[in-house]
Amino acid sequence: MTICHLQATGTIELYFYGELDARARLDVEAHLTSCADCRQALDDMRTIQAALATRPDISAPAGGDWTGFMTRLDAAIRDESESLAPEGVRFFSPRYRGRYVVYAAMAALITLVSISVAYIVESRRQLKESALAGNVSPAPKPPEPVAAAPAQEWSPDAGLVSLSEQHFERSKLVVYGLANKDAHRSSAQDWAYERQLASTLLSDTRLYRLAAEERGLKSVARVMGDLELVLLQTSMSSNPEPATLQQIQRLIYKRDLVSKMDVVVSGF
Amino acid sequence: MADSDLIIRAAGGDPTAFQALVERHRSMVYRVAYQFAGNHFDAEDIAQEVFIKVYRSLDKFRQDAQLTSWLYRIAMNACIDHRRRKSPAASTPMGEEAEQRLLNTPEEAPGPEECAYAGELGDVLEAEIARLPQGQRIVFVMRHHQGLKLCEIAEALGLAEGTVKRQLHAAIHRLRGALTAANVTAGGRA
Repeated sequence: MTICHLQATGTIELYFYGELDARARLDVEAHLTSCADCRQALDDMRTIQAALATRPDISAPAGGDWTGFMTRLDAAIRDESESLAPEGVRFFSPRYRGRYVVYAAMAALITLVSISVAYIVESRRQLKESALAGNVSPAPKPPEPVAAAPAQEWSPDAGLVSLSEQHFERSKLVVYGLANKDAHRSSAQDWAYERQLASTLLSDTRLYRLAAEERGLKSVARVMGDLELVLLQTSMSSNPEPATLQQIQRLIYKRDLVSKMDVVVSGF
Repeated sequence: MADSDLIIRAAGGDPTAFQALVERHRSMVYRVAYQFAGNHFDAEDIAQEVFIKVYRSLDKFRQDAQLTSWLYRIAMNACIDHRRRKSPAASTPMGEEAEQRLLNTPEEAPGPEECAYAGELGDVLEAEIARLPQGQRIVFVMRHHQGLKLCEIAEALGLAEGTVKRQLHAAIHRLRGALTAANVTAGGRA
């Protein structure tokens, strides 16, 4: 018995699975009218298809629960990650860099917040002490000298100038950020962050300005006033439109705020 | 987010991106693994292996390639590796001849006659699919169950289209034989 050439060459399967072009399909259909073997082959394939179609489609672990699978995979991936490279190499590998950058950024943020809180608490305490010393006691008591630090003559003015310098250092990040931001590419999220920073610094700036005015430290008070204005405008601007940012940038340049923050305290 | 973006992020060390990738494609991978292995135990092992291999190879994925083709290829290799590990031949080095023998040796499973007594034609065919040589089984599963075209199967497996066509032809020939035997045993078609 000879097998029909359509079956021998596998053409009948290609026909069944719709893999033939239109002309080849017509040829096969013409052939089928006169070939019982090929018709039987097609019937068999349809029977196979129908029988297999009744089988359940298993595309998930038993019960459709992926929990165990995902837990096992997580553990395997973790092991895989740890065995991929030695510690030093692993740290710098691209796969880990993103993760460590996030950790480093979080650590830096926590440190920054801690330092800021400590500064604010300390500055308020010193301002309070100096105010009390200036108004009540004729001989202000200097703060305890730091161990191993050279003994310095302390005065309320020197303390205020030192605190102002530290405050300018903290504020510079925000002012630099505002001055260099692209007005047309600033996202709402980005702007919200700037506003938040500005609001955080604003009350301390006002406090330092008032203290400087009271002490007669006119240049410090003036720069604090300019800074206060920039921070105030930033914190009050809920709309991140380019025009708003450009207005603040003009203010920064017009008042030459960045340079003044650098030099004002060095004159004391 | 597109697969390619998830791959870039996962390769950069973002574990959530890799998890999203797994969640998006695990059903397809599991389906292939189950159709090949025929039981949950081995299917889960194979699917795990696929995603571990994907994780190892994230850096090597070509952005212009089809992710599903890449996954199929990894899945099929994982199926073959899994079977090889379970086979007694696993302890010996795998030469080209041994590879061919493995691909064309029927699996040890109940034959159509035994299954026919159980009655269900689906059982008979599934058992026969499990007995197909690996190359034939892979191609049949990809064409019949996954609905991939021959050219897609060839691309996914890195084979010539003619080879895929021959494997499919051989698989269907075997299944038709099982069908005939089942009908004869059950007193159907003579």
